[in-house]
This record gives sequence, C-alpha cells and structure tokens, in this order.
Amino acid sequence: MPLTARNISSLVIDSLCDRAEEDNIAVAGLYCDFLSQQEQTTTNIIGALLKQLVSRGGILDHVREAFQKAKKEFGGRAPRLADLMGMLKIVIASLPQVFICLDALDECLPKYVPELLESLRDIVQESPRTRIFLTGRPHVREDVQRYFSAAVVIPICPNPDDIRNYVEMRLDRDSEPEAMSNDLRVDIVRVILEKISNV
Amino acid sequence: MRWLSPLEPNDRHQGVRTERFDGVGNWLLETSEFWGWRYSEGGDDKAVLFCSGNPGVGKTYLR
Repeated sequence: MPLTARNISSLVIDSLCDRAEEDNIAVAGLYCDFLSQQEQTTTNIIGALLKQLVSRGGILDHVREAFQKAKKEFGGRAPRLADLMGMLKIVIASLPQVFICLDALDECLPKYVPELLESLRDIVQESPRTRIFLTGRPHVREDVQRYFSAAVVIPICPNPDDIRNYVEMRLDRDSEPEAMSNDLRVDIVRVILEKISNV
Repeated sequence: MRWLSPLEPNDRHQGVRTERFDGVGNWLLETSEFWGWRYSEGGDDKAVLFCSGNPGVGKTYLR
C-alpha cells in the first residue's frame, strides 16, 4: 500500500488543479524518487517547475517573448540554475498565484536539499503569495524549518479510516471471493487495525 | 520544452494518480492547517505546508 504521503501529494495536486481556473491559480508539482536521484538536481527540478508553468495557457505575451529570447541565447547549452531561477521568478511574478508541490523531499540527494529550499525561499521572497506544499520523512523537517521558520508541519500518521478503506478495497478485489465469509472479513479488518494501532 | 529539464513531472503525476487509493488521505484536505495554507491572504509567513511521515507510514508498501 503506497500509504499516505504520496497519495496525499497527488490528492493535493489534483484538488488544486480542479479549482485552478475558478480560483485563478497555477500549479506545478513534482514527485522526487530514489530511483531518479541522479537526474533530480536542483537545476532539473527548478527547470521542471518552470516547464510546467510555461506549458499551461495564460502566460502573458511579454513573458513568452522573454522566454523565447532566453531560449535562443542558450543555443544548445544547458541552462544553469541561475538562468532557470531568473526565468521562473519572472513567470511566477506574472501570474496571480502559484502553488508548488514537491513530494518526498528526502528522496532527493541530500546535497541538493539546501539549494532547493534556498531557491524556493528566493521565490517566496520575491512573490510572497506563492504557496509551497512539501512532504518528506521527519528528518528533513529541520532543513525545511531552517529556510521557512514559519512552516506549518502536519504529521502523517496511520489513520484508521485510511487503513480500513484500503483493506476493504483489497478484500473486494480478492481473487478467491468464495473463500471469504463475512465473519472472516470482519476479523481481518479488526486484526489489521489492532496491529497497526500497536505500532 | 525538454531543454528546460529532462524530468517529466506531468507524466509522473498521471502514473501516481492511477495508483492512488480514493479515500486514503482525504482527511488532510479538511484540516484547518490545509485551509489556512490554501486560502489565507497572508504573505510569505503562510507560504509552506510540510507533511512529515516516517517510511513505515508514508512511503512503504503494506503487503
């Protein structure tokens, strides 16, 4: 069961996107992953956020022009972090409000985490309406609070309703439903919830 | 747009959301912390919401 953090990030991203038009907001979201650590440099993450924001509609003409001009200037070479940050700040400042979601911050290589948080802080300082949603293991909390001392922290605990919903769903999809009785089903859910509450 | 980054977050999001379990984690969207972050008119002191979870809670698989 991909328990709650990644599930929650995807819910948050969708709940924001669902109301993006109505609330006049733009959303950029990225899931960090142990498996792509080498590619997940600060530069590539900032570039990916920029890519998401400029590929949606509603970008003002002067921003689009500045963007095309910058692209030409780079020619074939890869843009540096400072280049991307400059463009990202221009794009964000041109939009009413931007939400940035980063899932599993701790799955980035530790050497990139401070640089990434510093970049996010730069963005917020320049466009204070920007909102940032982060998830990660508890040990990155200190890093987050070093850059954002007022960050609101919500611990994600095994929520009994979440577990029950998940177990019920798995039982519904059981490949041998004839081996299941109602009593057994009730027992399975009860025992799993008991075990989890003892963790 | 590949010149900006080799990462493809939109594809990844589609993958994650197809594996998503509806009904898991919805409680977060109802918390006052989430609403405060989502709708507050405040400045940069309201900017960050951080959800922290242990590996056994947040990311691992229960089999």
